[in-house]
Amino acid sequence: MNKAAPLQHNFFTPNVWLLIFFMGSGAVFAFFRFFYGFGSITNLNAAYPFGIWIAFDVACGVALAAGGFTTAAIVEIFGRDKYHALVRPAILTAFIGYFLVGLAVFFDLGKYYNIWHALVYWNGTSVLFEVAWCVMLYLTVLGIENIPAVVEQFKGKVNLPGQMASFNKPSEWLLGKADNILNRTMAFFVIAGVVLSFGHQSSLGTMMLIAPYKLHDLWYTPLSPLLFLTSAVSVGLPMVIFEASLATVLFKRKPETELLADIAKYIPLFLGTYLLLRIGDLAYRGVLAQAFDGSVQGNSFLVEFALFAVPYFMLKRRKIRRDALKLFLCAFSVILGVVLNRFNVFLIGMDMGPEFNYFPSVGEFAVTFAFLAFGVFLYRLGVNYLPILEEQ
Amino acid sequence: MDISRRKFLQIGAVASGSVVCAGVKPASARDLREPNPEWLGMLNDTTRCIGCKACQVACKKENKLPMESTLNESANVGRDVYDAPRGLSERTYTLIKMQQDEENGKTTFVKTQCMHCSEPACASACIVGALKKQENGAVAYDSGLCMGCRYCMVACPFNVPQFEWQNAIPSIKKCTLCRETKLKEGKPTACSSVCPAGAISFGKRSDLIKLARKRIEKDPELYQDHIYGEKEVGGTGVLYLARPKMQFASLGLPAFKYRTVAGLTESIQHRIFQYFIPPIAVYSVLGGIMYRNQSRKKNGGEEGGSHE
Repeated sequence: MNKAAPLQHNFFTPNVWLLIFFMGSGAVFAFFRFFYGFGSITNLNAAYPFGIWIAFDVACGVALAAGGFTTAAIVEIFGRDKYHALVRPAILTAFIGYFLVGLAVFFDLGKYYNIWHALVYWNGTSVLFEVAWCVMLYLTVLGIENIPAVVEQFKGKVNLPGQMASFNKPSEWLLGKADNILNRTMAFFVIAGVVLSFGHQSSLGTMMLIAPYKLHDLWYTPLSPLLFLTSAVSVGLPMVIFEASLATVLFKRKPETELLADIAKYIPLFLGTYLLLRIGDLAYRGVLAQAFDGSVQGNSFLVEFALFAVPYFMLKRRKIRRDALKLFLCAFSVILGVVLNRFNVFLIGMDMGPEFNYFPSVGEFAVTFAFLAFGVFLYRLGVNYLPILEEQ
Repeated sequence: MDISRRKFLQIGAVASGSVVCAGVKPASARDLREPNPEWLGMLNDTTRCIGCKACQVACKKENKLPMESTLNESANVGRDVYDAPRGLSERTYTLIKMQQDEENGKTTFVKTQCMHCSEPACASACIVGALKKQENGAVAYDSGLCMGCRYCMVACPFNVPQFEWQNAIPSIKKCTLCRETKLKEGKPTACSSVCPAGAISFGKRSDLIKLARKRIEKDPELYQDHIYGEKEVGGTGVLYLARPKMQFASLGLPAFKYRTVAGLTESIQHRIFQYFIPPIAVYSVLGGIMYRNQSRKKNGGEEGGSHE
């Protein structure tokens, strides 16, 4: 098994400057949101209180961070050690993803300074209550799961310059202690991470079920929590493949096609389960016909379904899995499917009556792009200075 | 590797099965609570309303709400004017809307405001419990607790809670049933006390239902035999009467079912977290699998035990 090592590339490439540009423009709009109210930059209204910041930054953010817990489960719990190279990048991405979800929630809360209230004032009937707790706990767990990379990089090498030198010893002691404790307790956190993911991936699916008269029949189902969970599990590996493929191109690394093609064999298994549940549920509730009524919602459902079904049939074939480009496209299709599904549940499938409409404003897009750029920026920072990707 | 594909599937089935059983039971599991007869509320008799909007003005004055200029009146007239916004807003807690029946084409004035539900979806949804059903029947909002997540707006089937989109530090705004002002002094709500047509009656919910029944019985020609809000979404504190053949849905009062809006989410939440059994079960199953794999790895020796 190869060792992971920091890339140590030159950090400020033109790509990174582009990311900084996006982050900057998002920050400008964020300024208005914080000092002049939501009305100054968003298209949110009385009937659409949740916009793209919740639908994409939070709902999709959580789903797309599923690579973390699925790879951790496959490798650490089910013992498939040969995929070990994929764990650290997946865990780092999940950590960044959840960190950004937290940040996005902070942006979207009217009284953001009360965000800590979720810790103190409990309302057990609220789905959000559970989502909030799981996100907080899982973010902590992900933080802990990332510590070994930090320890590996700096243990025995702490050498702060000048006045800070007095912190060298305590830092070393802390790193040693963390290494020691984590070696013995990591299993606990790995399983906790998976259980917490199960918990709130599914409870995000429960969220919009509080609006039976607003959410379209195609998505209003008691099975929604399970569908959210299984679709999140399905998108876990495609996210890993997606990122690894991009990293190969952008960081000019040797392709990991063998490994990715191999682990991709699990995807049809997960996707199949999801599709079976989805179709079964629609048929059982007798609403399948609504998918073909030509409405925006019906068509949106059909696209969503195709984005899941096509890669399911494609990835069953070994030949396609071994083709780097086709594998990438299949993975991307699943990702788009999950994104569209979350949009359908949170926005497109929500009908508040003919008087109201919502389409995200430029400002909302800018802030969302800023979050995306910030995520890529943090990932780049992580792999550049910490042992995340394996040496080649 | 030693877990066969079949085992993997089996374990997966057990794990997901336990989640399914725990999470997805029929929504009917939760019982409907009976509305408390002592709760205060209002009866809006749409047959009596003349659309004068005195209630709207009284509400604005009582709650010291700023005026809304949807048509730039303040610029034209030189001062703010109480006007007619299209819907409830953070500055308008109650509103008279003229509605037209789809079938007979007749128009009716209908008052909108918070319905003060018996089992408010907003209160069920609120992450910190900033919205709560009070002893007196009002659904009260605590802006100090609120995080501004707006999930209550998603949850409310009547789209009542409003958000201060223009404020840097926004709160949720909605009808308070004059809880802090009038009710405290034992007086009826501002809107009901100014109604010149006797269209708004204030009182205990149980009394209002009796009153409504009496009106229906006394004048079956004038009223249809249905009190909107008596059973809808588990009962509401604000009730409505309408003329015969008038569809409540055409009055902006949708034909909601009699079960509570939050029934499904609450029963799912309840089952997933009942005594923490499901999460602990999943944890144990996964722990067991992990332990087995690791001990096999150890037994298989350092070299290659972990490879397929």
